Amino acid sequence: MVLALACVGAQADDRELTVVSWDGAYVKSQILGFIRPYENKTGVRVNVLQYSGGIDEIRRQVRAWNVHWDLVDLELFDAIRACEEGLLVRLNHDSLPAAPDGTPASEDFINSSLMPCGVGNVVGSTVISYSQARWEKEKPDRLEDFFDLQQFPGPRGLRRTPQGNLEWALIADGVAPEKVYEVLSTEAGLDRAFEVLNRIKPHIVWWRTGEEAIRLLETDRVAMSSVYSGRVDDAVERGEPLEIIWDHQIWFYDVWGIPKHGRNVELAKDFLRFATSTESLAAQAKYIPYGPVRQSSMALLEPERRQRMPTSEAHLKTAVELNAAWWSENLDRIAPRFERWVDRPVMVPKTLPR
Amino acid sequence: MNGSSERRVGRFSFGFLRCSPLIISGLLSPLLCAADDTEALREQVQRLQERVEALEEETVTAERRGDLGASVSEADVTAAEETDGVHVGGAVRFNLVHRDFVQASQDKYGESGLDVFRLNVDGEVDNILVSAEYRFYSYMHTLHHGWIGYEFDDQSQVQFGIHRVPFGLLPYPAHNAWFGVPYYVGLGDDYDMGLKYERTDGAWNTQLAFYKNEELNDATDPERYSFDLIRGGDQQNEEVNQLNARVAYTFGLGTNCETEVGASAQAGEVYNTTTGRRGDHSAGAAHLDSRCGRWNLQLKGASYEYDPANPQGVDPRTVQVGAFAGTYDIAGEADILVANLAYNLPSPWESVDSITCYNDYSRLYKADRALDSRINTLGCAIGSGPLFTYVDYIMANNMPYFGSGSLAGGGEDEWHSRLNINIGFYW
Repeated sequence: MVLALACVGAQADDRELTVVSWDGAYVKSQILGFIRPYENKTGVRVNVLQYSGGIDEIRRQVRAWNVHWDLVDLELFDAIRACEEGLLVRLNHDSLPAAPDGTPASEDFINSSLMPCGVGNVVGSTVISYSQARWEKEKPDRLEDFFDLQQFPGPRGLRRTPQGNLEWALIADGVAPEKVYEVLSTEAGLDRAFEVLNRIKPHIVWWRTGEEAIRLLETDRVAMSSVYSGRVDDAVERGEPLEIIWDHQIWFYDVWGIPKHGRNVELAKDFLRFATSTESLAAQAKYIPYGPVRQSSMALLEPERRQRMPTSEAHLKTAVELNAAWWSENLDRIAPRFERWVDRPVMVPKTLPR
Repeated sequence: MNGSSERRVGRFSFGFLRCSPLIISGLLSPLLCAADDTEALREQVQRLQERVEALEEETVTAERRGDLGASVSEADVTAAEETDGVHVGGAVRFNLVHRDFVQASQDKYGESGLDVFRLNVDGEVDNILVSAEYRFYSYMHTLHHGWIGYEFDDQSQVQFGIHRVPFGLLPYPAHNAWFGVPYYVGLGDDYDMGLKYERTDGAWNTQLAFYKNEELNDATDPERYSFDLIRGGDQQNEEVNQLNARVAYTFGLGTNCETEVGASAQAGEVYNTTTGRRGDHSAGAAHLDSRCGRWNLQLKGASYEYDPANPQGVDPRTVQVGAFAGTYDIAGEADILVANLAYNLPSPWESVDSITCYNDYSRLYKADRALDSRINTLGCAIGSGPLFTYVDYIMANNMPYFGSGSLAGGGEDEWHSRLNINIGFYW
């Protein structure tokens, strides 16, 4: 009898949850901010897997009813696409914990961070960064400088996705930020964006994960790179002399989504409630300067910390919001063209196949 | 004749297995069920709990140092950059040819056949490099190149084995598949056996090399890819103890208009097996390789001289070279001019990845006032997925493989043409 009870207890302690997130300083902030505290509180073991975005793997798992990913940290446009494809569990936001002052979650979360199949966690940002050691005199400080190889020669790092890159290309070419998606919606606008990217294409080094972008800068392989802003903070703490150009930063939401047909949907929901509580989001923001999506979490942060976030007033002056709805509708159309473009040289190649 | 893609990496990989951090799994359950005493069980649970907490504290400390250790598992979907691994690749290529100087080719409206089937091995394991390529032609098979090397922390590199001689325009002194004069006198895309060091410091690129001898260590064998002195008849010379130095500087590095200018020097000995004495040979070159936007201009001027230790009665004005299972004579002293212009067109078609069109011109000015040799190739290289096709219209005057043309004295002052379509599948 005692043995049986002990075994039941052991099973309860063996509960595991597989959470899929990103890499580097970002996942570190989640592990220290709320994953470890959740494990300590519940005894549930949280295994963290790393990915670099997209919904192909979720689609494969859900369609096969062979779901290993219990909870996924998604970019908002991916969450919208996955939701529309019926790959994610629909969520009841009323079950999310209220703010400490009793404000319901639906009022505490900032706009757009709650969606039918997802719950926001942070406001992240893509910025341009460079090593201060790279430029002795004049330093780049505008988006246009990223596309100016004459003034600031050297390789450029960019994420191997069209999102953000096309917007920057148009803005650098003189398109007003508020008109960017209107222009991108036309073939001529798309051609224009690719033509601007052609200016720097021979010197682009593509990255897929945030850590790769930071490594490109740390190892001086690139003169400048797009990078997730929060990763720069972590690198600076390690002593890397990296600087951020906040001009026309592109900010976005990351949201949690639960793939359908998983074995641990209820446990995933429990984790989700914990991870998106006021305290958890504030705790995460102590490890990475990304804006928490709950107003009550923001209130818990020191003013100095808030100033370092993409959501600070100073950094929002020329900021562009990544239009997740637009990308959810247009990514399938543009991504193949983008991949073809990446593979096509602009300059005469140094080496043709012989 | 076709060059190589020394660094081409195939898609089939025998990448070395790499250890990924494993997910930390549960620690408690099997022991719990084995215990049959409640108190002992509680104590055991308590000890394990303390141990887990201690381990987790250590892990958090490690994470604060920026090392997430085993907590994060690298899923297969992660596109991590591969550094180590050995890759196998290759290519098979076919030629469609029409030669206006061969009656049978005219009568048959052209010819076709296998150009080459080749296998490549390229890789890096712990900064130790390897690269090799073996080629099968219908009339011979040979090692194109094969070397092992080491990459230092400053990205400089040393290569030992059979590798490309650093001289003039690199990697090739032409855009087309047939190449030009430098290749046919052994001063372009040439491979020998030796040691090479290469380093890049910003805009500077420096290469130093020493070659003990030609690539096969058998100067009687013309079944090779690149042209070297070949022994035969009264010509009994072979290349030994050769030094090479090449320095290049790139103006506008990292901009849309990069222009490399450089100088090369080559000096070595020529061993004559009949006399048992060593003569010498030397060569020098200056080059410009400018890539501005979609344009590429290549210019090169070179000069070479052979001073072999021939026995009495052997004509010192020519030396014999060979490759592709054949030999011919070249002038013992000559100058070379190369002028190539290329443009990379934006492809209007989804299925065509790249279109590079070019006009490559080169000329051999022979020292003894013999008739010069000239070759001009107008063509395009078209890439489409794994397929790569060269469409070359070659006009040659007094060149080997074109009628009675000769790179030595004599020959003929006649222009001949060859339409050469080379279609290859690369993997």
